[in-house]
Amino acid sequence: MTVSSLRVLLIVALAFAPLSCKRAKTVHVEQTEEEGPRLASVVHVSDPKVEPQLISGFYAIEGNAWRWTAKQFSVVLRVPTGAAQRGATLDLALTVPQVTIDKLKTISLSASADGHPLPPETYTQTGQFDYKRDLAPGTLANSSVRLEFQLDKAMAPGNGDLRELGVIVRSIGLDAK
Amino acid sequence: MTAAARSRQLAYWLTPPLVCLLVHWWCFQAWFRADDFAWLGLANTVHSSHDLLRALFAPEAQGTIRPWSERGFFMAGRALFGLDSLPYRLVIFATAFADLTLVAAIGRRLSGRPAAGFWAAILWTVNSTASEPLGWACVYNEVMCGLFLLLALYCLLRYIETGKPRWYVWQWVVFLLGFGALELNLVYPLLAAGYAALCARKHLARTLAMAPVSLAYFLVHTAVAPPPASGDYAMHYGGPMLHSLQVFWAWSVGPTYMETPLGWPKSDLRLGVTLITLALGWFLWRKVRERRYAALFPIVWYLVVIAPVLPLSRHLTEYYPFLPAIGLCWLGGWAFAEAWGKGGGARIVRRIAATALSVLYGVMVLPQTLKADEWNYELTERARHLVESLAGAHARHPGKAIMLSGVDGPLFWNAIRDRSYVLIGLDHLYLPPGSEKLAGTDASWNGVGDFALAGAATAHALAHEELEVYDVRGPRLRNITSLFAAMPLDRSLPLRLEGGDPLADDFFGPEWYPIDGNHRWMPKWATLRIGGPAQAGQHLYLHGYCTEQQLRAGPLEVTAFVDGSTLPVSQVTTGEFELMLPLPDADAGKAELHVALGVSRTARPPGDPRELGLAFGQIAVR
Repeated sequence: MTVSSLRVLLIVALAFAPLSCKRAKTVHVEQTEEEGPRLASVVHVSDPKVEPQLISGFYAIEGNAWRWTAKQFSVVLRVPTGAAQRGATLDLALTVPQVTIDKLKTISLSASADGHPLPPETYTQTGQFDYKRDLAPGTLANSSVRLEFQLDKAMAPGNGDLRELGVIVRSIGLDAK
Repeated sequence: MTAAARSRQLAYWLTPPLVCLLVHWWCFQAWFRADDFAWLGLANTVHSSHDLLRALFAPEAQGTIRPWSERGFFMAGRALFGLDSLPYRLVIFATAFADLTLVAAIGRRLSGRPAAGFWAAILWTVNSTASEPLGWACVYNEVMCGLFLLLALYCLLRYIETGKPRWYVWQWVVFLLGFGALELNLVYPLLAAGYAALCARKHLARTLAMAPVSLAYFLVHTAVAPPPASGDYAMHYGGPMLHSLQVFWAWSVGPTYMETPLGWPKSDLRLGVTLITLALGWFLWRKVRERRYAALFPIVWYLVVIAPVLPLSRHLTEYYPFLPAIGLCWLGGWAFAEAWGKGGGARIVRRIAATALSVLYGVMVLPQTLKADEWNYELTERARHLVESLAGAHARHPGKAIMLSGVDGPLFWNAIRDRSYVLIGLDHLYLPPGSEKLAGTDASWNGVGDFALAGAATAHALAHEELEVYDVRGPRLRNITSLFAAMPLDRSLPLRLEGGDPLADDFFGPEWYPIDGNHRWMPKWATLRIGGPAQAGQHLYLHGYCTEQQLRAGPLEVTAFVDGSTLPVSQVTTGEFELMLPLPDADAGKAELHVALGVSRTARPPGDPRELGLAFGQIAVR
């Protein structure tokens, strides 16, 4: 390595120096979104803003419209006005896809609202369904209710997909009677 | 020198750095992540010259002492440029360019072929082990250590060439300074001796004169910072070292982790690695037959430089072969240059074979290098987005605590665990109750328990408007405090109270003094509430401090009552202490424990009106 080569390298290095000296020393501040969502009594799972209400067992949004669930999944919903007195109807809009019926033949869905069990439903055919159940006023005494869903079976991970797949969910809601 | 020759020379020296910049452009643009924040935060601990010395030289993570490449690099960078990553990158890449220049300079001397040095530098810069040293600021120590090792060796070569003592002196200076970059520097006397034994035997004795320095460094370092006996950084000698060598060799001549985004099966990659290994072996055998023993030096370099990390068989890290790989690149560059050089038989066959093997190497390593560079860049961008958004949230809600919802493992590991938020003036950051259950589910979540806020503390903070909750999913941090407050919360009491945590105030009794940095003092007696143990056999853990004044009259006695039961009295004999007091089995399953702590002697430091008993950093049930 000659002295002239070293000189060239030094010039290249120094050429970068002004870039750094003119930079601000403080951290850049990014704005936050302060108008946050409120607890909803109906959640469309494709809405990223309701994600905090999807407590567990939901995978990423697909097709801007739905999510796969795991074998167990849970959600928190706001108790709608008047539901504490008159009760409410739980409506879970789901799809049982062909692949699920092909692999599992049947699939049963059961649920509980704040620990109170709800009658299960068994699906033997592919298609879109509404899992609807009445919730008694006694189960809706608080301002929110935690709904736990449980499938009797789920598709095991495979074909490069590491997820355990249950059913496809579009929305979950409570409607005051 | 003619203009054409000058241009050729310029291209010779500038091409490797330009290729490096081009290949590692993602690294050049990367921000900070993970351990970087711990080093950047070191500047916050310096308030005096004593602090500075401690920050520069006290053993830190895994007992490392790297004043130039870690402590000094980050502290100076933070003081001069804050969290602007560009100046750090300029330093890292400038050092890498110097490394490449030295690789070329030494490679041409070893082989006697300028092209060999050039190709060695090119082969090294595309190697996928370079991704982290160039893209992750806290691995700068590798790049800097390379500079010291290569520069010292270059000085030795120049000394042997010219006989001028100043080169020998400079070698010593560089060698000694190299200890401030990385512990690996201690292998240099072996490298120098290896070169002398192979190429300049009359200088062997002079190179060995450096060995006692390395030995002394090793002994002092081991005494000051003994290697851990367990965990990821424990040393495993014997058979595991051969396995480490096999893995690192494959990552040196093939892609790291033997993976490629091209989707090649591992068997194909193994075949590629085997072919290149055989080719290097064949070339080496030929050189030995020709009595060109300098060709053995690259192998000496590889084995000597990789040797210290071989016992770390449970921590096979992708950048460990970064510096050793220089040796193989020298050999590969030499072989390639010779195949394309003049003379010898079967010239066309040699050229085709050398080109095919070089292309094979490039196809195996380059896509993985680019992928690893981009992966690292994306992680640093996630960290940058979070830290800058937290700065925005902190500015909007000064004095309030912040909790993050929706954090995933990689974000926790790369942007939260090492307390990046301290750098923007935020003292505490919390994760939602229950997050501690993620510990152990994935290595990324190690340490998550330190950030999970207990349900009772969360509910109290929300009710008193002391906490803002943000959802990190989505392009911007979204304030979900109202939504979060409306969700059902597990109201269990914390199992760990941090003395310096303002959100723990509610659990400390009225006797405690206000928070004092990362701890809080109690007078002679104080009370607190804490969650009960899940099962029998657990302890009340106390980590605290007392004054020297208190200890002058002998050990202090610490008394603890838990729900009316007296725990065994413990003694404190040092300024900082840890105590483990066994809890009664009857406390198992209790939701809440009422604890009273007492100390046998208090002190009143001059100028402080408080009667000081003990200060606690952490009180926990474990």
